[in-house]
Amino acid sequence: MDSSEQVNVTSVDELEPVIEVTPALVQKRRSQGRIIFDRFVRNRIALGGAVFLILLFLFCFLGPFITGHNQPDVLHVTEASQVFAPPSPQFPFGTDDVGRDQFARAMAGGQVSLIVGLGSMLVSIILGIGIGAFAGYFGGIIDNILMRLTDVVLAVPLYLLLFVLSATLSDHTPKSVILLISIFGWTTAARLVRSEFIAQREREYVLAARTIGARDLRLMFRHILPNAAGPIIVNATLLIGSNIILESVLSFFGFGIQPPYASWGNMINYGQGFLDSDALLVIIPGLLIFLTVLSFNLVGDGLRDALDPYMTER
Amino acid sequence: MGRYIIRRLLQAIPLLFLVSVAMFGLIHLLPGGPVGVFLNPRLSAAGRAAIEQRFGLDQPLPIQYLKWIWGALQGDFGFSFVTNQPVLTVLGQRFPPTLELFTTALVLALILAILLGTISAIRQGTVTDYVVTTLSYFGISMPIFFLGLLLQELFGIVLHWLPVSGIATAGVTFDPFNALWDQFNHLLLPMLVLATSFLAGWSRYMRSSMIEVRKQDYIRTARAKGASTRTVLWRHAIRNALIPLITVVAIDFGAVAGGAAITENVFAWPGMGQLFISSLESRDYPVLLSMLVLGAVFVVAANLLADILYAVVDPRIRYS
Repeated sequence: MDSSEQVNVTSVDELEPVIEVTPALVQKRRSQGRIIFDRFVRNRIALGGAVFLILLFLFCFLGPFITGHNQPDVLHVTEASQVFAPPSPQFPFGTDDVGRDQFARAMAGGQVSLIVGLGSMLVSIILGIGIGAFAGYFGGIIDNILMRLTDVVLAVPLYLLLFVLSATLSDHTPKSVILLISIFGWTTAARLVRSEFIAQREREYVLAARTIGARDLRLMFRHILPNAAGPIIVNATLLIGSNIILESVLSFFGFGIQPPYASWGNMINYGQGFLDSDALLVIIPGLLIFLTVLSFNLVGDGLRDALDPYMTER
Repeated sequence: MGRYIIRRLLQAIPLLFLVSVAMFGLIHLLPGGPVGVFLNPRLSAAGRAAIEQRFGLDQPLPIQYLKWIWGALQGDFGFSFVTNQPVLTVLGQRFPPTLELFTTALVLALILAILLGTISAIRQGTVTDYVVTTLSYFGISMPIFFLGLLLQELFGIVLHWLPVSGIATAGVTFDPFNALWDQFNHLLLPMLVLATSFLAGWSRYMRSSMIEVRKQDYIRTARAKGASTRTVLWRHAIRNALIPLITVVAIDFGAVAGGAAITENVFAWPGMGQLFISSLESRDYPVLLSMLVLGAVFVVAANLLADILYAVVDPRIRYS
């Protein structure tokens, strides 16, 4: 309710206003998006996750140009001491057994890991929205086929199936890893969208829009879909994190991203052999994965709270 | 109840049929599938035809499927390309270690999840709650293989407290008690790693369902009739709070199996997960196919078990 109106009503009923007009009462009416943004920002932990992610993106994508560590594949073996070098101003994360700059590799690997996480999230969400919308809107046989397909995907242990597909189908480039991960990522989004469509499709506003001549596709994507926006955004954020983990697991076993591409997962796979001599080769990419996924989870949960319409306005 | 179980079992048949068709098709149609393994370029045409005929690979795919599923239903999953033993024998050798790791980790994760979830729910908003919540966030965000490597580094390489791989110390014969102790030491790290990765998510479910249950009227009624806090918690609250957790655990069964596969490979634990990766590397398709299909049977059975457990935990739920 508009706060300035409230003040007017009380001042008419009684001669003296009982409510003092504080700055909080006369503040401007906020838009929906603004309210959500304000709620999100007030959640310090989620905000911290978001800030970390911004810094991480800057680190991975601009870092190589700013710091000059842009040669992840160059072997710095001119001096013997540069093999397994400990962290130093020249190599902040040290070097590996053939003298590669781990700082540059962390940034290059991060680019691949983040692109795979984001890319597979996008493909999964688009697939999920499409499949869920058609199943929920049309129901009947399309819905039945979809639900059986989901059952089959859910019945087989995900990792095992993903391993088989990656070992046989993938050419181990980021693009094919994105596509493979997306094959399994769409189910949650599809179910969210489907249930929203089933709940909304008989509502009056849909009938009204149909009466003035809106076609199915317009009804589906302009009128009904926005209702599911909140859960989809939350699901998408959490999906980035779980997809980054999936990519790292695949790459760790050698079925995901393979050289010449670096990814945090295959850096751990490579460093695993030197765990007893130079644990940093494993710990640095591992910590980067951990912190990235943690931040996406925190941001996702923060968004869930901010978007929750039942949460009282603060 | 008996009727309900029978109906659910009947419903599982078409699903498992679909899964087996999908997996069989997948394995056989993929480039480099079973036919590809035999397509050694140096093999003469006659030799190739002989091998194809021997393994029935020259027949149309639907016929091959029917033969395979007919055998599988009778417990004959074919022969491993690598060891030439029946698939079931190969799987049987690898089953006990996996069962040991899987059940101990599952029980540990469940007990800790129920305890931690309950504690942080009844201490909602206190330091204890924040510590548990923070740790569970860490657990959810930690890739399972990285946690494994970290613990190997810490307990094996830095502290020298625990063995980092295998199921028992090789080449040493212990008396029965020390053999058991030796095996327990080997089990400890993989079990902790596998349990941690699921404990985190499950304790969060337990916490939120416990908070929800504690607001219910029957809890207030129980308190009003004079039951002590402890009785209310153990007899009334926990039982009801367990219901959502059972669903989550059942859904996660496939993921736990996948997690066990990863853990086994990090710790060189000689179970089915290690067999799976090595079969994949050597393209041992009969073994892979059987593991995928048996994995699906396992997940479907776990879901059915969860639905039956509902009725045990919550007498209000009756199936007909």
